[in-house]
Amino acid sequence: MLLVLSEEHKEHLGFLSEVDPAVVGEFGRIAVEFLKKGSNPKIYEGAARKLNVSSESIQHGVEGLMYLLTESSKLMISEVDFQDSVLVLGFSEELNKLLLQLYLENRKEIRQILSKLGPSLPHYHNLEWRLDVQLASRALRHQVKPTVTLKLHLEDGAKRSAHVLQTDPATLQHLIHELERALTELKSSHCRRILRNIK
Amino acid sequence: MRFRFCGDLDCPDWVLAEISTLARISSVKMKLLCVQVIKDLLDEGIDYDKVSKLTSDAKFESGDIKASIAVLSFILASAAKHDVDSESLSSELQQLGLPKEHTTGLCKSYEEKHIALQEKLRESSLRLGRLEAVNWRVDYTLSSSELKQVNEPTVQLRLQAQDPETDSTQTTTVSITADKFRVLLTELKQAQTMMNALQ
Repeated sequence: MLLVLSEEHKEHLGFLSEVDPAVVGEFGRIAVEFLKKGSNPKIYEGAARKLNVSSESIQHGVEGLMYLLTESSKLMISEVDFQDSVLVLGFSEELNKLLLQLYLENRKEIRQILSKLGPSLPHYHNLEWRLDVQLASRALRHQVKPTVTLKLHLEDGAKRSAHVLQTDPATLQHLIHELERALTELKSSHCRRILRNIK
Repeated sequence: MRFRFCGDLDCPDWVLAEISTLARISSVKMKLLCVQVIKDLLDEGIDYDKVSKLTSDAKFESGDIKASIAVLSFILASAAKHDVDSESLSSELQQLGLPKEHTTGLCKSYEEKHIALQEKLRESSLRLGRLEAVNWRVDYTLSSSELKQVNEPTVQLRLQAQDPETDSTQTTTVSITADKFRVLLTELKQAQTMMNALQ
């Protein structure tokens, strides 16, 4: 599957052919750092001064590289396809090899970062519980009523929420039974067949 | 195999695996490591520099250091949770393969601090909506827009409690007439007598 690059993108990346391959390697390293930790505009200023070009063209070059890497990693394109897509830019043989190297080395890590960006539901963080016995209330004395109080902590991205629930032991047993049934469902032949095919 | 310190359940596999990691450091260093872990469990802060110095002889990597702290925290917290005496803990750990000197060191630290550990665990047990402060004031209403001579005492109560779901402090202010307040006081005194009878 070939990557189709827009005109603007090609223009931004065109800047890379004007500089040394060593500098392109450095830009590649900066691009990967930015993908992992976020961009730092000060680096553009320093590089612009050293190379005697505007910091805007440096920014475009690095961002163009970042986009190229994320798109290729997202689509998981093969080496051949990557090389064909990059040929369009008209870079030298050495530059093409450098870009391919950059792609292959960092593909797995970029894919890991991209996998965390998808939408997600709140998921389990922690569960606290407590077993109480109600002995008396204002209305009725001499009772014996066991209850289980649960505090379910959920996490959704950066947000934490807590839900307080209360149940009697019989309902809790039923809940446990249903959850164990859900777990044994994983071991059924139907599920195992599907899991084998995915792996 | 059922172990008392695991609450009469099987010992988790990761604990078995990490016990062999623990056996790699000398028993003296392990006792000092236990002291650090107990300090962490009691929320007194753990000194990671000391820990890395203790484990540097056995050339522990960062993964091994984390694993040994985790397994010691588990053993000590679990033993305190299920109120296991130090002899049973000692024999069970030796059954799991921890060498005798390490076990004696661990059990000595446990015995010194197990009451403090249980107190800390009791404090951190689930409690919903703790009452943080009670302020009160008695007013005497002389007159109002409805009636010229009111001459009635009222109590203003301000309760500061913790919201069970968000853990933030919520303030509730109520004003109570003398009769209602008398009823409230009697009922609460009855509840207090019942609580004292239970202690």
